[in-house]
Amino acid sequence: MFDLLPHLLNGLTLGLLFALIALGFMLIVGLMEQINLAHGSLFALGAYVAMQLTGPRPPLPADLAKLWLALPLGWRYAATLVIAPVIVGLIGMLIEFCMRRTYGKDPLYGLLLTFGAAMVIEELIRLVWGTRDYVLQVPSAINGGFLFGDLIWSSYRFYAAGIAAGIIALVWVLIEKTSFGATVKAGAHDSEIVRALGINLSRLRLLVFVFGTMLAAIAGIIVAPIWGIRPHMGVDAVIPAFLVIVLGGVGSFWGAVVAGLLVGLCVGLAGAYASEWSLLSMYILLVAVVTFRARGLWGKKSVLEV
Amino acid sequence: MMANSTTSSDAARLVTPTMLVLWLVLATVPLWITRIGLYPYLGIEILIWSLYALAFNLVLGTAGLPSFGHGAYFGIGAYAFGLCQFDIVANLWVCLAAAAVVAGIAGALVALFISHRRGIYYAFMTIAFGQIFWTLAIKSHSVTGGEDGLLKISRLPADFGLVSFDLTDNVAFYYFVLAVFAVGTAILWRLVHSPYGRVVAAIRQSEVRAAHLGYNVWLYKASVFTLSAALSGFSGGLFAMAQLAAFPDVMSLHQSGYVVMMTLVGGGLVSFWGPVIGVFLFLTARDVIGALTNAWMLYFGLLFMAIVLFRPEGIAGALSAAVQQHSINALRRRGTSAMRLLVGGGR
Repeated sequence: MFDLLPHLLNGLTLGLLFALIALGFMLIVGLMEQINLAHGSLFALGAYVAMQLTGPRPPLPADLAKLWLALPLGWRYAATLVIAPVIVGLIGMLIEFCMRRTYGKDPLYGLLLTFGAAMVIEELIRLVWGTRDYVLQVPSAINGGFLFGDLIWSSYRFYAAGIAAGIIALVWVLIEKTSFGATVKAGAHDSEIVRALGINLSRLRLLVFVFGTMLAAIAGIIVAPIWGIRPHMGVDAVIPAFLVIVLGGVGSFWGAVVAGLLVGLCVGLAGAYASEWSLLSMYILLVAVVTFRARGLWGKKSVLEV
Repeated sequence: MMANSTTSSDAARLVTPTMLVLWLVLATVPLWITRIGLYPYLGIEILIWSLYALAFNLVLGTAGLPSFGHGAYFGIGAYAFGLCQFDIVANLWVCLAAAAVVAGIAGALVALFISHRRGIYYAFMTIAFGQIFWTLAIKSHSVTGGEDGLLKISRLPADFGLVSFDLTDNVAFYYFVLAVFAVGTAILWRLVHSPYGRVVAAIRQSEVRAAHLGYNVWLYKASVFTLSAALSGFSGGLFAMAQLAAFPDVMSLHQSGYVVMMTLVGGGLVSFWGPVIGVFLFLTARDVIGALTNAWMLYFGLLFMAIVLFRPEGIAGALSAAVQQHSINALRRRGTSAMRLLVGGGR
């Protein structure tokens, strides 16, 4: 049993990260009934922007760059955690402006539009940063490892899992416990009535979309030190995100979180016994669940089904 | 929707005038393609991918089922073609049949799991199965050669008993693929306009209504998916011949996405020929723009976004709308007031 413990812990931390990756995607699916396939590319973009900002050559005028580089890495990292998502959020805003035209039509159009956006962003990343791998520097306080029960544990994994849990809790409060969340959910359910009540629905949707893309960027920054930064990381993220949502059921917050943890455990444990096949395990998990439960674990009826 | 671009007399034909003109034009391609700076291999690729996209459109356009993992069946066909050639018998017809049958079996297996699903769940189940097949192809080194692919596949001669054609030359192979394409389009045309095809199109419009009319929706969905997978696998077999190898790359999510893009850009949702237009545009753009800039996907991505936003019915849809507009304008010019009223331009 004790042999299994590291794998279980590894799987749980991985699961929290999967849930974090899926969070922004889930927000947009759950509140707007739109599938944002550009989620993975925005996730990657967040990581690249953060790497550029914390790296030795920030994209700033020379004087400012000197000032910025004089700051300790911890400060720069903390500031980047805010600045990079804002930059990515602006891109998200652009996508939403385009996506507006597809509201009320078959959700397939939104999906295809964001697939195109994903291609464009990925190609832009390749143009700007090339195809090589990068590393995101993190402050030494959360880097390194510690010894526990004869094993070396990576501190960063626990930091990342902690942050993920915190952000998940925050988002839950926002959509379940605030009037903002209630209005947006009502808007997804019956947009005509919500408009008739005098609420500016298009601004609300813009906010939700931008928030979702910012969450994608944050997830990218948090996950980057573990996965590394390369052009393919977007695809590596969007598929698990999509999978977690379908497994948990569209429209269910806790479904997505539980699904994230399940996928993490599944990949972690499979990685322990047959590392070659660990990624396959999550697809098999999905097929097994969706074969017997049409709407995933706790899915609700949604326009995305027809 | 299909009927929009087809007159009812065309629907009943085995070979339509459009089809005939297209075949004839395609038959002249090797005569001039090198003069405009391109090469016969591009023609081969366009024909094979067109057949694949037409097969795919059976699911997306005719049945309205979002399948985003179709590359898997294309790839399985390619591997089946190669493995049949190496391990069973090196006969063109047997190997092509093997490509179609193996991909069809894989498709039928997947159809068993997904045919009760709709919308996003259907879409994602197809992605999941696509990824499963793709991972299997990459990891089973001993069978598929892993990421290096299955190499040294040869273009077997087309043996008709009395005569046998050597297909190693690209022009000869082009004509072989064109013949297959011609037969394939004729069969698909009949299938789409058969009673079976009509029921499938009815399911696309409303599953519930079709079910209430007494059709076994599950069976239709499963069978159309299987058929499409088999034909995709068949095209995959041809592609293995063209490339002289089979690679896992065509099974990846990206490549599966490309066939969706090609089909939609061309206008597969409104026209039988949409996928062919899309494939032509995509592959030609890849070669022509790709020769000028490395970032051709950037421009194609932007074009794709613009089409989804402004012309969701694709190029074929835009063309037929233009033709319609033209005839309406002609009516207006010489029409009586009654005709004007009829077309709504009398105000």
